[in-house]
Amino acid sequence: MTRGFLRAWFRTLLIQASWNYDRLIGVGVGFATEPLIRSLPGGTQGDRYRAAMARACSYFNAHPYLAGLAVGAIARAEHEGATGEQVERLRRALASPLGSIGDQLVWSALLPFATSVGLVFTAWVSPTVGIAAFLILYNAAHVWLRTWALAAGWRGGIEVASQLKTPFVQWGMRAGRRIAAFAIGVAIPAVVWWRLSDFGPDEIPRAAIGAALVTLAGIVVLRRIWPALGSLRFGLAVLAVAVVAGWIG
Amino acid sequence: MIEHTPWLVLWGVVVGLDLISVAQTMVARPLVAGTVAGLITGDVLAGATLGAILELFALDVLPVGASRYPDYGLGAIAATATASGAPWLLGTGLGVMVGLVVAYAGGVGIHAVRLRNVRDLTHHAAVLAVGDARGITLIQVRALLRDALRALLVSSAGIAVGLAVHRWFPLSAAGALYLVVVAVGAAVAGAANGVIRVTAAERWFVLGLAVGIIGVILL
Repeated sequence: MTRGFLRAWFRTLLIQASWNYDRLIGVGVGFATEPLIRSLPGGTQGDRYRAAMARACSYFNAHPYLAGLAVGAIARAEHEGATGEQVERLRRALASPLGSIGDQLVWSALLPFATSVGLVFTAWVSPTVGIAAFLILYNAAHVWLRTWALAAGWRGGIEVASQLKTPFVQWGMRAGRRIAAFAIGVAIPAVVWWRLSDFGPDEIPRAAIGAALVTLAGIVVLRRIWPALGSLRFGLAVLAVAVVAGWIG
Repeated sequence: MIEHTPWLVLWGVVVGLDLISVAQTMVARPLVAGTVAGLITGDVLAGATLGAILELFALDVLPVGASRYPDYGLGAIAATATASGAPWLLGTGLGVMVGLVVAYAGGVGIHAVRLRNVRDLTHHAAVLAVGDARGITLIQVRALLRDALRALLVSSAGIAVGLAVHRWFPLSAAGALYLVVVAVGAAVAGAANGVIRVTAAERWFVLGLAVGIIGVILL
C-alpha cells in the first residue's frame, strides 16, 4: 500500500488538471484514487474496481490540498466494502467542509501570510531571498497539508469527519486570517517605500500623496460604489487616465 | 531582450500550469514569476518590482473553485518583458499596465480551457461511466495539454505586446511618473480590499500597517 499511497500523493498534485464546470475536480479525484483501489478484490479487471473508479470520477469539489482527504477516505471505504450509496453519501458530506476549511486555512491565511513574508524580505533583504523565503515557507505547509490530508482520509475511512476536528485545523481557522491581515499590513509600507524611495527627494512627498489618494479612491470605489469592478479593472481604468494625463500634461 | 524570449515563454508555460493544473506550488504568484523573469532578462530589480506591485493586486483574489480570476503570474512575466532594460521609472507603470491586461487575458483563457474540458468529458462519457482507468488518465493528459497551450499562447502574446510597448509606446517623463504613482496606489487599494474581503480582520491589518511604517522609519 505504501507504493499506492505515494502514487496517489503524486497524483493529487494533478487533481485540478481536468477542472471543468460539469464535474469540477471529480475526474481528478478519480485519477488520484486509482492507485489506492487497484488492490480491490478482482484486481483492475474486476467489477468492484471499475464500479469504484466510476464512482470516484463523479462530481466533486474541495480545496485541492485537502481533496486528498476525500481520496484516502473513499479508497478506504471501497476497501471496507461500503455500498455505492454509502460512498456517495461520504462524498457529499466531505465536499463542502473540505472546500470551506481549505479556503479559510490556505487561501485566506497561509497564502497571504507567506506572500507578505516574501514581500517584506524582497523589500528589506533582496528579491531572491524574498521569493526563496516565500516558496519555502508556503510549500513546507502545503506539502505537509497534502500528506496529512491523504493519510487522515485513509485512516478515517467512512468516519473521516472526526479528522477535521483536530486542533491545528480549528486553530488555523480561528487565528490564521488575523495573522495574515497583520502580515499584509506590514508588507504594504515595506513594498511602497522600497520603490517610492527611488524618487528624488523633492518628488517623494508628492508621489506618496498621489499614491495615497489613488488608494483611498480605490478603496471607496471597490468597497462602496462598485464592488463588482474588481481591483484589476480599477487599476486599468486609473492607469488609462494617467496615460492620457501624461499626454496632455 | 529578444534573445531571452524563448526562455520567458518556457517560464510562462511552467507558471501557467502551476496556477491550477499542476501542484500549485505558487511559482505562479506574480512575485515569484516576475522575479524569475527578471533573472532571465538580467533585470532582477524590474522583475521584482513588477512582481511585487502585481502581487498586491493579486492579494485581492480568492482563487476558489468555480470563480473566474486573472492569471497574474503570466501578467508579471509580460510586465517584466515590458520594463526590462528601461530605467525603472519609465518601465514600471507601463509594465503594470501590460501585466494587468495579460493577467485578464490569462483569466479568459482559463475559462475557455474549462469549457473545452466539459466538451471532452461529454465526448468521453462512456469512459467515465465504466470506470476505464486508461481513458481517465487520457482525459487528465489532454486537459493538461490544453492548459499548457493556453499558457504558451498567453505568455507569447503577452511578451510580444510587452516588447512592442517597450519600444513604441509614447510616454513623457512626467507621464511615466504619473503611471508609477497610480500603479502603486491602485495596487495598495487592491491589497487593502482583499484584506477586508478575504480575511475580515481589519484591526489586525491596521496594527500591521503601524508596525510596517515603524519598520520603514527604523530601517
